[in-house]
Amino acid sequence: MAGPLLETKLYVPAHRSGLVPRTRLSERLRRGLGRKLVLVSAPAGFGKTTLLAEWLDERTTAWLSLDQNDSDPATFWTYVVAAVRTAAPDVGAPTLALLQESKPAPVRLLLTTLINELDQITSDLFLVFDDYHVIDSLEVHEGVGFLLEHLPQRLHVVIVGRADPPLPLASLRARGELVEVRAADLRFTTDEAAAYLNDAMGLELTSRDVGALEQRTEGWIAALQLAALSMEGRDDPSRFIAGFAGDDRYVVDYLVEEVLRRQPEHVHEFLMRTSILDRMNGPLCDALTGQDAGRAMLENLDKRNLFLVPLDDRRQWYRYHHLFADVLRARLLDEHPDRVPELHRLASDWHESHGDRTEAIRHAMAGADFARAAELVELELPALRRERREATLRAWLEMLPSDVLLARPVLCMGLGGARMSTGTFEGVESLLLEAQRWLDEPTQTGMVVVDHDEFRRLPADVAFHRAGLALMQGDPESTVVHARRALDVALDDDHLSRGAASALLGLAAWGAGDLETAYTSYAESVVRFERIGHIADVLGCSITLADLQLTRGHLRDAMATFDHALRLASNQGGAVLRGTADMHVGRSALLYELDDVAGARAELARAVELGEHNGLPQNAYRRRLAMASLAAVEGDPDAADELLDEADRAYVGDFSPNVRPVPAVRARRWLAQGRVADARRWVDQQGLSATDELSYLREFAHLTLARVLMAEKRLDPALDLLARLARAAEEGQRSGTLIEIRVVQALAHQLHGDLPAALTALEAALALAESEGYVRTFVDEGPAMLTLLEAAAERGMAPRYVARLLGAFPSAPRPGVAPGLIEPLSDREQDVLRLLATELSGPEIARELVVSLNTVRSHTKSIYTKLGVNTRRTAVRRAQELGLLPR
Amino acid sequence: MADSFAIRVQGHLDARWSSWFDGLTVTKEPDGTTLLEGQVADQAALFGLLLKMRDMGLPLLSVIRADRQELPSL
Repeated sequence: MAGPLLETKLYVPAHRSGLVPRTRLSERLRRGLGRKLVLVSAPAGFGKTTLLAEWLDERTTAWLSLDQNDSDPATFWTYVVAAVRTAAPDVGAPTLALLQESKPAPVRLLLTTLINELDQITSDLFLVFDDYHVIDSLEVHEGVGFLLEHLPQRLHVVIVGRADPPLPLASLRARGELVEVRAADLRFTTDEAAAYLNDAMGLELTSRDVGALEQRTEGWIAALQLAALSMEGRDDPSRFIAGFAGDDRYVVDYLVEEVLRRQPEHVHEFLMRTSILDRMNGPLCDALTGQDAGRAMLENLDKRNLFLVPLDDRRQWYRYHHLFADVLRARLLDEHPDRVPELHRLASDWHESHGDRTEAIRHAMAGADFARAAELVELELPALRRERREATLRAWLEMLPSDVLLARPVLCMGLGGARMSTGTFEGVESLLLEAQRWLDEPTQTGMVVVDHDEFRRLPADVAFHRAGLALMQGDPESTVVHARRALDVALDDDHLSRGAASALLGLAAWGAGDLETAYTSYAESVVRFERIGHIADVLGCSITLADLQLTRGHLRDAMATFDHALRLASNQGGAVLRGTADMHVGRSALLYELDDVAGARAELARAVELGEHNGLPQNAYRRRLAMASLAAVEGDPDAADELLDEADRAYVGDFSPNVRPVPAVRARRWLAQGRVADARRWVDQQGLSATDELSYLREFAHLTLARVLMAEKRLDPALDLLARLARAAEEGQRSGTLIEIRVVQALAHQLHGDLPAALTALEAALALAESEGYVRTFVDEGPAMLTLLEAAAERGMAPRYVARLLGAFPSAPRPGVAPGLIEPLSDREQDVLRLLATELSGPEIARELVVSLNTVRSHTKSIYTKLGVNTRRTAVRRAQELGLLPR
Repeated sequence: MADSFAIRVQGHLDARWSSWFDGLTVTKEPDGTTLLEGQVADQAALFGLLLKMRDMGLPLLSVIRADRQELPSL
């Protein structure tokens, strides 16, 4: 969450009766209700907010008044959710959970979650972005554009600002999806000006005077308001109007001058001193004026309608109307330039002592008191980092003059880290080196440290960021050096540095094939992240940890890793943590190996139900791989192929070594389908050969090559390669991989006609696999393995285990063969048939079976053909007649 | 590099706005417009000035870079 929320920003401006009704405009807004975007775009003082307050009165409204601090995407979207929750309290918990994660969730993911939730609301909700022109973040604009593209049915977006937002307005306009209210529409017509001046303000002006004012101000409402104030209590309004109309001065200059001249000195002084504030209450004003009548003064100004805008219902917080504030500030700067820094200093102090460091920093910057600003930023830094407000941190630090920044090692590190986490690597290295320089030579004079706790963490912080930077730059050796250094210098209780450095070290070691170091490092980082509650990081590291455990042949440990991570995730309460879906995918693959196909399918269904947005993007391909192997075993080759294609497209490297490349998995499928030539083409494309030097990173590919060689009946090179692979896996203690190598070896010897050698290899595989309960690694090899296992059973090899494996082979004759059917239904077709007999729709069937709709359609077609029918109903009836379905 | 700019807006602006506009000189012209001219540090500073004018609701008439030549009079 982006710090404490200012409730005043979510305040829906009250509709004040007695103002000029803008029926012509609300009529236009009402007509535009079905469109995507309402845009109210006009300069300050055109009554934008008042118009919307009138129009939205008694409609459900989520209002967000934006300010400069909201250009940080984390802050912006946190406020959006908070605004929505003022109107729809049940919405937004999952999105807030994503915003609170220790790793920033991609904006798309956040928005998808929010949009899905808002799709569920059943009544109209108006989301208003007021003062949108202050936003200058491309990322925020893109997010708003994405929201508009995928706008939920009952949500209506209203953007209010002084400049057109950088959104694709032209295409929205062309598609008729935009309602616009612009300056020309908002200007008061002569009738409206008369209604305002005479009815609302009670001035009793002649129509000629009204006409002159309307012309001079061009219907600019703020100017008419100022004019009305200038005329209050005058007995000669016509003379005033004539003087005003005959003058060329900037309208606001002329009128503010008039208004101010009529204020007593102490009011004048109050207005000038408080003009630097964006938000004010009584005590804050007192701090700036040195008086104690702030609250009474604000009430008085409010009552006299002197350009004060209330920011809450309790009349505690106010702001000046923007135009009025600008004039006052310009005067202050012109008349008392020396006072400006002092006033900002007082405002900064007041905000700091009242717990609002963000405003304290803003005023210190505005008063050019950079040393103070730097000090405050350093104190706020841990909170900014915790709340993922790196964009804000970065913006502040980039405002500091370089001599102020470079004297502060904590801030140099802070800016380096903030740039890295906002995706910029430029200048990061030199910032880290600046921080390092102070650490290397602590006796140098001139160093400024405010937060000594942060300073003590600094050596580790710098080192693990340098490790991360090295990894980005594709330099694993330096990654290891810096990560080890971080672990050497990190304080015992600095779990963040230790967790991050361990994960980086683990990643680099994994890529280098050093599984032992990779394993212990990931285990360490999981423990550390868990200690500080960074559960999303725990989930991310658990996937790698389980992978490593599986490679080492520890199937049960891998399962325990996923179970533990899932327990942690479910203890977070409320929203689902991203990465949860990946734990289910991981469990699914393990259950599949254990031959619990129903369990594997249920886990996948759970992952699908949680949705792609609850999975880590770098693991999207794993889900497809798991689905593909299920589809293949269930006799659905088309779906399996389709899923492999999807997995290939979804693959994201993310610095992890690609130890199980999708194209190699596909080559294996081709072999299973007898498409040996296609598999050979893959081998040649990869430039693989049986005499290659072996490495852990290419182990999966080489094992695939051995299978291709066997399919090509080139058994000598295959056996030779397999023997070398077995040796390498043994040396690297990769027992999990070794089981498969032994299985393939057994099959190769069998093909070669050497049954004793085949049984020796099989016995070795069984010995490694029995205690962990591997099943599918054997059974998926098909009839050849069945024969071998039967031979093993005859010889009394691992009798109980072998009996279990033999029982897991599909038994013949199979169900689905009915008299009267020329061709039996496949397992998968029977599944579809069973569901055709229910009320489920096509898409629902697809979801139930975890396949695409197209796949369901092609099965259905095939079922119809086999049954000789052409409708769903006759298919069910015919199946019942044949005894394929219960009647 | 700093460049000279001349920005023209509708209406007569008080000279006291000069500090607000980073020290640009403020000249009232006989045609009812105001010319703000002087050195502007860079494009970011220029846009900052234009945004200030927008926020005041000042109608903008022209922005001209007056590099090394006499300021063009409109």
